Amino acid sequence: MAPLTPYTYIQCPCSDESSPDADDDDRTFDPRAARSNYSLYGLEYLLYCEDCHQIRCPRCVAEEIVTYYCPSCLFEVPSSNIKSEGNRCTRSCFQCPICIGPLAVNSLEAQPDQTHLAAPDTPSASHGGPYILTCSYCNWSSTETGIKFDKPNSIYSQLAKLYNGGEHRLTPKEHKERRKEALQASAVSGDPLPDQTLDVETHFAALKAFYQSQLADANASTTGLSSLEGLGFASPASLSRIMSIYTGGSLHDKRAKSRIGTMREALTSDEGLQLASLDESSSISALRLHHASTIPPTTYQHQTPHLGALPPHTGGARFPSHLRPIPCLLRTKRSKRCPLCRHIISKPEAKVSTTRFRIRLVAGSYVPSISILPLNIPQPSPDGALAPLVPAQFLLKFLNPIFEPVRVTLATPSKTPGRFGAKVTVLCPEFEIDANTDVWEDALKDGVAGKDVAAGARVRRGTVGEDGQQQPEVGKIWERGRNWVSIVVEVVPASLRLDLLAATGKFAGGEGVDAGPLREDEDVLEIPMFVRVEWDADTGGDDVGSGVGKDQKEAKEKRELAYWCVLGLGRVRQ
Amino acid sequence: MASSLGSAPLPHRSVANIRSPGPGSASGPSTPLRGIQSSFGSPSSLRADEDLLLIELGTRKLHIGFAGDPVPRGSVWFGPDQQRRVGDFRVWQPDHKDNWKQRAACGQWGQDHELWKSDVRGLDLGLVSDKIERAVREALTKYMLIDSRPRRMVCVLPSGLPIPMLSTTLNTLFGRFAPPTISLLSVPIALVVGAGVRSALVIDLGWSETVVTGIYEYREVHTSSSIRGGRMLTEQTHKFLAARLGQGQDSTSAGATEYLLSFEECNDIACRLVWCKPSSHSTTGTPDDGLATVDEQDETEAHTHHDLNPQIDIPLRSCEPPKSLSVPFDELTEPCENAFFDDSRYSRASFDDHELPVHILIYRALLQLPLDVRSLCMSRIIFTGGCANVLGLRKRIFDDVSHLIQERGWDHVMGKAADEVRKKSQTKTQGTQPAGNGGGSKSPRDDQSNIWHDAANSSPDADPIEEQLKKASSSRPTVKGEMRAIESLGSWSGASLITQLKAPAIATIDRDIWQQQGAAGASRATEVDPKGQRQSLGPGGLIRGAASSWTLGVWGVA
Repeated sequence: MAPLTPYTYIQCPCSDESSPDADDDDRTFDPRAARSNYSLYGLEYLLYCEDCHQIRCPRCVAEEIVTYYCPSCLFEVPSSNIKSEGNRCTRSCFQCPICIGPLAVNSLEAQPDQTHLAAPDTPSASHGGPYILTCSYCNWSSTETGIKFDKPNSIYSQLAKLYNGGEHRLTPKEHKERRKEALQASAVSGDPLPDQTLDVETHFAALKAFYQSQLADANASTTGLSSLEGLGFASPASLSRIMSIYTGGSLHDKRAKSRIGTMREALTSDEGLQLASLDESSSISALRLHHASTIPPTTYQHQTPHLGALPPHTGGARFPSHLRPIPCLLRTKRSKRCPLCRHIISKPEAKVSTTRFRIRLVAGSYVPSISILPLNIPQPSPDGALAPLVPAQFLLKFLNPIFEPVRVTLATPSKTPGRFGAKVTVLCPEFEIDANTDVWEDALKDGVAGKDVAAGARVRRGTVGEDGQQQPEVGKIWERGRNWVSIVVEVVPASLRLDLLAATGKFAGGEGVDAGPLREDEDVLEIPMFVRVEWDADTGGDDVGSGVGKDQKEAKEKRELAYWCVLGLGRVRQ
Repeated sequence: MASSLGSAPLPHRSVANIRSPGPGSASGPSTPLRGIQSSFGSPSSLRADEDLLLIELGTRKLHIGFAGDPVPRGSVWFGPDQQRRVGDFRVWQPDHKDNWKQRAACGQWGQDHELWKSDVRGLDLGLVSDKIERAVREALTKYMLIDSRPRRMVCVLPSGLPIPMLSTTLNTLFGRFAPPTISLLSVPIALVVGAGVRSALVIDLGWSETVVTGIYEYREVHTSSSIRGGRMLTEQTHKFLAARLGQGQDSTSAGATEYLLSFEECNDIACRLVWCKPSSHSTTGTPDDGLATVDEQDETEAHTHHDLNPQIDIPLRSCEPPKSLSVPFDELTEPCENAFFDDSRYSRASFDDHELPVHILIYRALLQLPLDVRSLCMSRIIFTGGCANVLGLRKRIFDDVSHLIQERGWDHVMGKAADEVRKKSQTKTQGTQPAGNGGGSKSPRDDQSNIWHDAANSSPDADPIEEQLKKASSSRPTVKGEMRAIESLGSWSGASLITQLKAPAIATIDRDIWQQQGAAGASRATEVDPKGQRQSLGPGGLIRGAASSWTLGVWGVA
């Protein structure tokens, strides 16, 4: 078992509102409940709204898009293309369908290195011939699916015209023309049109055209008001709706209703009817032969169902020959706003190549961070697991990031929730942390005022025991620094023995003792802790100036921030 | 058309497309219907919520895209990695070991891959809400690349979704994403539209259950379901592998099933290797000699393949210690056989209503349909769902159902006594009239089966209204009465078609009204004045007054 690094998660207060029993004040937050995984965030994922004085998690921010770009070629895609061309890079950026590594365009022709030296001015000759996509990580190449390209650029559009195996895929325009020719031919010969298998997009287009023609026919038979029949999402219908309000026609006359019956169903493949070919014996025999090379379903989930990929019902979509290179998903840079006050709390630079942010109010610079250190762990096992039923002490170090001194109040349930409740004692649940002032300023103040809190100097408040070790003391902080305070938490981990659990459950008379086997992560000692931070802030003054004007006491405002957090201390030995 | 059509733009603007492409549809000189050309639209294209989000929720995955696209832009699968805390990267640590056994310990084997289960008892609806929220948020951020301005949504949901889950879904979507309206569409209807027909029998071989829905003229007329679905297939795969590992699962004590392999591995094997053998009826030959030629071919193929029945090595990593199983290829049909058919060992009466073998379920569903509906539905069978990808399963089901129909006809009564009665009556009625198949089939083999029907044998009276209707309908013959399977684009794409063609959704719910009234405020579908309902569906909610009565459609209280 991997040793557990102690961690801290903060529950965003926004998730409290959604919980149905929010009126219950005594409710302790259970970090092990399945729902809490959705509301807990590491401090680095949280933002902070300066105006609402509230933590904002990814769930409670409003987002706006600054830039769309391809993460592979860093091409900035205009927003209009997103709607028309989809959410993937339409240039030459592809991911390997096996290992999702980036694919490179390579020439199939081996580069003759001799001629390269001899004739450096004819690069076209050395790089000619068909091109393929290759993965430099797992050595997959598009030749495995029979795809080769004529040009080294705009692979996306070339791929759209190719089926796996190299067969030419008709563009919709060509498809239309082909059908027209066939139609004329059949009109001459009198034979019915041959049914054909369509891929998803062609099928969709055929069906759409069919339905539209049917609706148009029906429209022609009625007064034209019947477009109201449809649920108008777009403007033409709404326009005609407004018109109809003024003309005063009844919205649903009988003719409009009767026309429903006139729409027939699709009858040919041209109209979008596809007869299923249920005979999959060829695929089965392929499976018999190539069973070892089937692709796992997780790989298939990555596949994008477009670009002329086979329709999902062809059945055999489990062989590597059905894989297609995955075009890179575009990404966005987003600015984030507080949903309540609409202030921007995060705004990245619009340029794709920079990672800078113009505005970024991360919670880490407003909320005290908590770090956990083991202080006194008896009988530590080699993998760092805690011994059950033996008190262990941990240091919690609170670091104040703001320029005001803060008062912190902690509360934990005396026994952690869950089946294996550990006893928790916070030795000093109330303390004050000094402001995050400038280091030099403190040094200057030290000389002038002679405070007992020296800059950078560690003040220990514990008593020294007989063995020279410092002993933690109830009600006192352990150690104090410039803008940090550490306190001691004592935990007695419960025994993870299931027989004991069942026995104590019987002893207590409880019936519903769940003596099931140990669940995932149930051996991790997690403490829910309610943190309340109070400080006096300047009203209206920005935080930068507040450190300087510290001794001016006018116009102070009391602020507080309260949230649940979860401290993961370590695993308990089984 | 502002919607993306994937790689290549389709010729949606070409005149040929707008006018009728088919040779038979005689459209006069008329104003061509305008599609939803949002970018060419009138002033309302300035609206932020012009593009509709189409979300399909299934038990294991979520499809999302813009309405009007042929395929969804992205799919999010529910899984354990989605349920981790944000910032929990322990899985990526090199010494991380997936302790699936602890996850499976509390009866959770595979349940963390599901959004919900159809048994609402004991289901944490808050957790479902959280899962939906996170999945939709991921889909919007990763695949849709849109900002968080409110957009109108269309939800495609299975029609058997219980109200608590529907209510949770709507609460989550309204509460977290604030769409002005959510329209609801049902999966079977979307599939039918995606297949281009008006009536069909939709066989959804889904994850948690197999649902058979009879649809007549875009209305769901009959639904029945069986728990034989993907989950059962995966469990049977586990059982199959565990038995071969030497430690057969103790099936008697169902409460304490101990899993030897992880769900992920079993699911993987079920998806990759499990296949379905062809119907035994088609190979052994039935007393009826009317066999399709395709089936005969199967027989020969099966014989040739018997010779090469390779041993398949299945590496198993999730057991302790990792092992490699060697299984004959033909035995890999066993999980599928047990999961979907399983009628060899038990008598038919031993199945409960919720666990009928799939072919019997389909046969019963057809049997319970009215005659004319049945004749239309049986020739429009749509297979869908994840398990339709099991190689050979669709054909097997199709053949078995065909066999059942041949064997029994459309007779509700079965059993030995009924067979005797039938035999007697057959000798009586022999030669008097050719027995009409219930579906009105004209195929000779059905005539030879000589099934006795009293209602079906009588020649129908001439109905003047019917005749008028026949005249009104197009001259093209509709295929009825013969078994036929057709393909559908899929429910997402079908719903995309419906929405793009501006057909009214089954139900459209306004955000304000939902948040005031909740699911309890919905009227019954029959009570709602269709006129008012239609009006309230108007673009941008022009007429809000009619919203006093709204409905949840098929999901509402029956």
